[in-house]
Amino acid sequence: MATTEKTLEELEQDAIDSLASSGRRTRSKFLYSSLGALSFLAVWTYFSTVLEPYVLPSPLAVGTRMWELIVSGDVFINFGSSFLKTMAGWALALALGIPIGLLMGRYRYARAFFHDFVYLFANVPLLVYAVIAIIVFGISPWGPAFVVMLEAFTGIAINVAAGVESIDRGLLAMSRSFRRSSGRTARSIVIPSVVPFLFASGRVSFANSWKLAALAETFGGYLGIGFQLEKAFQTFSVVTLLAWMFFFVIFVIMVERLLIAPAERKVFAWRDPAGAREQMA
Amino acid sequence: MSEVQAAVRGHGATDDIPASLLAPPARPWWWWLTSDRAARYTARLAFLVVWQWAGSTFQDIPAPLGTLEFLREEFARGEVFRNVGISLFRAVIGLSLVLVLGIAIGIAMARWWRVRFFLTDLILVGITLPAFIWALLVVMWWGFSNIGPITVCVVSATPQLVVNTFQGATATPGKLLAMSDAYRVGTRRQFRWLVIPSMMEYIAAGFRSAVLAGWGAVLLVEWFGNDKGVGFRAHYWYDAHSFEGMMGWGLVMMVIILSFDRIVMDRVVRHFRSWRIGGQQWSR
Repeated sequence: MATTEKTLEELEQDAIDSLASSGRRTRSKFLYSSLGALSFLAVWTYFSTVLEPYVLPSPLAVGTRMWELIVSGDVFINFGSSFLKTMAGWALALALGIPIGLLMGRYRYARAFFHDFVYLFANVPLLVYAVIAIIVFGISPWGPAFVVMLEAFTGIAINVAAGVESIDRGLLAMSRSFRRSSGRTARSIVIPSVVPFLFASGRVSFANSWKLAALAETFGGYLGIGFQLEKAFQTFSVVTLLAWMFFFVIFVIMVERLLIAPAERKVFAWRDPAGAREQMA
Repeated sequence: MSEVQAAVRGHGATDDIPASLLAPPARPWWWWLTSDRAARYTARLAFLVVWQWAGSTFQDIPAPLGTLEFLREEFARGEVFRNVGISLFRAVIGLSLVLVLGIAIGIAMARWWRVRFFLTDLILVGITLPAFIWALLVVMWWGFSNIGPITVCVVSATPQLVVNTFQGATATPGKLLAMSDAYRVGTRRQFRWLVIPSMMEYIAAGFRSAVLAGWGAVLLVEWFGNDKGVGFRAHYWYDAHSFEGMMGWGLVMMVIILSFDRIVMDRVVRHFRSWRIGGQQWSR
């Protein structure tokens, strides 16, 4: 059934990867991509001279504001807070998604039972999640964590189910006939088959979880990037809002490059789940 | 059963096999309780029961019955159709622009390497930026208007369609194209029967996620600053501290997008993917 089909998020990630990895790293590539960034800056600078500075501040003003935020340490405190909430949500999502995924991969009934939930929770608009967070938790750090769990567990469950389905039945039969204990079988067959799938789901939904945590903070938070954006909005400070917007981009890219990409290389060193899926199909 | 019997009859040895082996295995009386359909309905029922329980136990959580009652009143006030109509109008205009821009940029990026390298970083940053930051920005720039929701819809959904179109345009079926060359199939026919079908599959999947993103973007802008639309109405009840109001409108947002995704986009995606799976198109 549908567990071996790729989710919308995974298709999107594939497309992003195909764009990001297209073409070799040559001098002309560097030239044109910096040309793109420069022309963006040029357009921005032009409009900032035409418009009032409180409507569109110049790139320099935003840069200065970013520097102030770094020096005062606000950036690190707020990103730390958002990061902790996202990670707490992820831990909860793992605790919920792994058992459901194991059931879905093993039993046909469980797969049908959870099918609708997985579809529902994966496609709810983020605004609805943010609303749920304030309804249930009010102004509290648990609201963002809770909705990140609801949003992220679906991808985890689907991927764990696909991982379970990908287990080599022959290996299981062999370990039974050689009378291996079920603990050892789980450790040496089940877990290595499931972990790459789990990791794939984590990588795919990381960006979305991060966006959702920040949005939920905008609604009911007292610390975190979302809260800072909301504060800039309330005080009508476009400069501060743009500064936090660029911090957001920088942070997501940094986590992607420094945390996720090295871990991915390590986990996928021995196995490629995309290949495993194609074999199954 | 028929297959087995036919095979056995072919050998003319039906009499030797007892009828009990040829009959399908008997089902226990409760078989329908474990069928896929029964599991799905059980899940839905369980969801409603748990929600109702949570709603009646915890004061802050609105129960399904109360939410439905609220929606009935909102329908009677005529607010539902008016606001849903306005939001849909904005989403349709925004997504039409997304469709045109996304496909054009995606194909241009696949066709010319200079365009690709020029835009790659901007598109990747565009995907990273959450819609709600754009929403806050455009509310400050334009206030209450139609431009705000439409702009954010375009800005946050276009990059998603661009990356998918790009992938579709670069992942042409190489072997089939090589074979067409070998059999001297004209460029026009190759384009009509190979390049476009293989691209449409990716474009349809990209548009599906663009619809989800675009609808979410319209809602966000309406929530943060607008005087009409679904998001505005939800925010109105937020200001009135009515949890049932927020939940009711959240339900409206979900029902609209999920039914559109299920009824329309799912079929569109399947339609454009069918040539790869079934191959019926080739036998014609």
